[in-house]
Amino acid sequence: MTLVLKSVGRKVGHNWIVKDLNFSVRQNECLVVVGPSGCGKSSTLRLIAGLDRCDHGSIKIDDRDITNLQPSERAIGMVFQSYALLPHLTVYENLELGLRVRGMRAEQRARRIQNILDIVQLSDRPNHLPSALSGGQRQRVALARALLRDPKVYLLDEPMSNLDAQLREKIRPELRSLILSQEKPTLYVTHDQNEALAMATKIAILNNGQIEQLDTPFNVYHNPQSLFVAQFLGRPQINCLKVRNNTIDAVRPENLTISDSGLPCRLLAREWLGNTQLLYLDSDEGELRMTIDPSFVCPERIFVQWDKSKVFHFDAKTGQRKSFH
Amino acid sequence: MKFKSSLIVLLLVWSIMPLLWQLYTSFSTDQALVTPFAELSERWTLDHYRNVISSDPPFFMYLANSFFVGIISTLLTLFVALPAAYSISKLSRKTSNYVRVILVACALFPYVLLFLSLLELARTFSLGNNLIALALPYTALSQPLAVLLLSSAFVSLPSELDDAARVEGLSLIKRFRWIYIPLLSPAIASTAILIFLFSWNEYPIALTWISDNSKLTLPVAMARIAGSSIHSVPYGAYAAATVLGAIPLILLVIVFQKPIVSGLTSGAIKG
Amino acid sequence: MILIALLLPSIIFLGIVFGFPLLSYLWLSLHANSVLTSFRSIFNGWANWNRFIHDYRYWQDFLQTIRFSVASVGIELLLGLIIALILHRPMKFRGWIRSSSLIPWALPTTVMALGWRWIFNSPFGPIDQFTTALGAQSLNILGNPSTAWIATVYSDVWKTTPFVALILLAGLQSIPADLYEACRLEGASASSCFRRITLPLLMPYIGLAAMFRLAQAFGVFDLIQVMTGGGPASSTESIALYAYLNALRFLDFGYGATIIIGSFILLSILVASCWFFVHLFNRKRSIMITK
Repeated sequence: MTLVLKSVGRKVGHNWIVKDLNFSVRQNECLVVVGPSGCGKSSTLRLIAGLDRCDHGSIKIDDRDITNLQPSERAIGMVFQSYALLPHLTVYENLELGLRVRGMRAEQRARRIQNILDIVQLSDRPNHLPSALSGGQRQRVALARALLRDPKVYLLDEPMSNLDAQLREKIRPELRSLILSQEKPTLYVTHDQNEALAMATKIAILNNGQIEQLDTPFNVYHNPQSLFVAQFLGRPQINCLKVRNNTIDAVRPENLTISDSGLPCRLLAREWLGNTQLLYLDSDEGELRMTIDPSFVCPERIFVQWDKSKVFHFDAKTGQRKSFH
Repeated sequence: MKFKSSLIVLLLVWSIMPLLWQLYTSFSTDQALVTPFAELSERWTLDHYRNVISSDPPFFMYLANSFFVGIISTLLTLFVALPAAYSISKLSRKTSNYVRVILVACALFPYVLLFLSLLELARTFSLGNNLIALALPYTALSQPLAVLLLSSAFVSLPSELDDAARVEGLSLIKRFRWIYIPLLSPAIASTAILIFLFSWNEYPIALTWISDNSKLTLPVAMARIAGSSIHSVPYGAYAAATVLGAIPLILLVIVFQKPIVSGLTSGAIKG
Repeated sequence: MILIALLLPSIIFLGIVFGFPLLSYLWLSLHANSVLTSFRSIFNGWANWNRFIHDYRYWQDFLQTIRFSVASVGIELLLGLIIALILHRPMKFRGWIRSSSLIPWALPTTVMALGWRWIFNSPFGPIDQFTTALGAQSLNILGNPSTAWIATVYSDVWKTTPFVALILLAGLQSIPADLYEACRLEGASASSCFRRITLPLLMPYIGLAAMFRLAQAFGVFDLIQVMTGGGPASSTESIALYAYLNALRFLDFGYGATIIIGSFILLSILVASCWFFVHLFNRKRSIMITK
């Protein structure tokens, strides 16, 4: 099973909020779409779900064109950011509603729901109201509802953003293995880059409604194709050096080292990040960020250097990666 | 603090005093009303209540009529206003603002001035002396308030619930059944009570549409008891009728105090 | 398309009850239609309007209606504000206090209008009984053209103040508490906090309540018809009552319609200027804030 988007776009007023999207997601793949807020990542999901109308291009699942189908006819399962559970219905009733609408018989519904509740480990609380569940449990109910549809494609819209940080980290591997075990193409939208890198088999970085780069989690970090991608991924943020010959050189904070010679720097401030220490340095190349062992006691003035092979070169005008040297 | 509680007591006395006076009047003999300070052998009586209850048509008929019209117009109004409110909440901002301005203008219009044309309509379509027909103008006059209140309630619903329902394939009617009506029940309840109160209390249209004695609504019947001359009003009987007529409303206000207040205030915030 | 279809029933209802009457009044106001014409409509051009402009009784009633509206709405706003301030703080029996202050608003106007007629009755009503028992003269409030309108204002204030208070209470509850805390931290007195924070932030609600209440009071009918019948000597007659009398007592539909359209135009001007002032005030305030 494969989800294929061909030059998909959506216009609001005179602006294309999503433009010329071309990608495909195969089964066993979890494509994570990341980007700053307003970049069009949620719109992408809504277009595939059929909640918004496509103004350009086509969407296919295998060979079936779903561009103009109703959301319920598209064979998609969706998990919403707020989970969208009906507060006046129990877990069981929430799950049952969609099956009932499709005209499934009562005993068959009961069997399916029991089955799914086992998978998401909620078989002990079918009669709870959503308000009586924890955030993580609610998320699993929303996931169960998507699974129940037995869809061809899974769409997840920031499913973790309503959970606290600790829980998010705990749930991440469970959710990932559950999704991948379904062996269906999955599209996962988030604004959190750590979550994106953890969940993805592939990442698409979206900016202004267009894909900047679509690659493996390793490559988008270690081989960014544009300045935007380099700056968007990785915290502390990548250092951009002075523009020379219409070229911006960028080097990640962890690739700076202290030495006896090199670029002279003055210490501006420092922050302890627990496992590491972040130094803010002032130099002729501008302000630099550098991470170093937390026990290092930094003097006022230091020299900094970096491995030339760890430097990325970008075109100062277009922001595209330059491949020379 | 003392000052404040005495202000509150003053407020309560001010709002309830006239009613208490009616209560006092209703139990007093005519003699006692005319000469309150004289020594009387017969000061208290239940005669006024007996008269009111045994009159023809019986007083409870008016209560029943008002209740009937109130229920019919409330149901009809909700039936018409709920889809309209949903529609406004989904229309483009510009269009919905346009509709809202019209609704506010209608709500501001003193509907009393409409009686002449409405009477004309009632005559043309022979809608007079019919309690169900009387619910039609009430439904129309309640539209501005009902649609405004309900549409702001629709806007406050999380849009993802709607999206999820569309993914699950719920039709519009099923969405009303499973999502909108249950989730908006507080707003629907306060709207319903406000409409019911309006139709229960409405006077000029009921006055001009209904002339049959057995079909009068409470406000018109009460005004009729008063008769035409200022001096011959049977105040004792009237007070008894007021007390009997006020009891259901007072109960309503006590029971539904919260939804009434929330309806009124959200109407104000909306405006 | 579906959205329009859902909206349509509501719009049709409104059109029949608001749109049709206004058009038919407009048409009627250019026709003679009364007992004299055997209730047939005969075009008579601007005759009704000419009569309207020179109708002394109408303009008398207009002034009376304005006097009634301004007096009742003014008092209601003032009292409503005081009551809202009292009810704003949490207290015991809050629900009961609210319920009992809502009762005047919920009771049918006609019902209490007669109750008031009895209370103001001369010589048997409680007020007259009280004053005569004290040895003073009978007041006969409703029998005196110079005092009867005050009685009508009083009963209108009694009925609608709770409503105004509730709207203002909603306004008070929308003001964030930390604004007051900041004001008090600056060492300002309670009254200066009231003037600098409460009153300006409440102004939109006051304007809203004033606008709605003015429009309602301008169309006052039930209260006057039942309480005084417009008397004594037409001193309490409102324009709605006058229109009603023209149409249903004097059976002059053409002129009745003219009065209604004329009053509608006058009311629109009043509401529009009210709205204009509210907006002018809000704009001025936002300019002050940005400066």
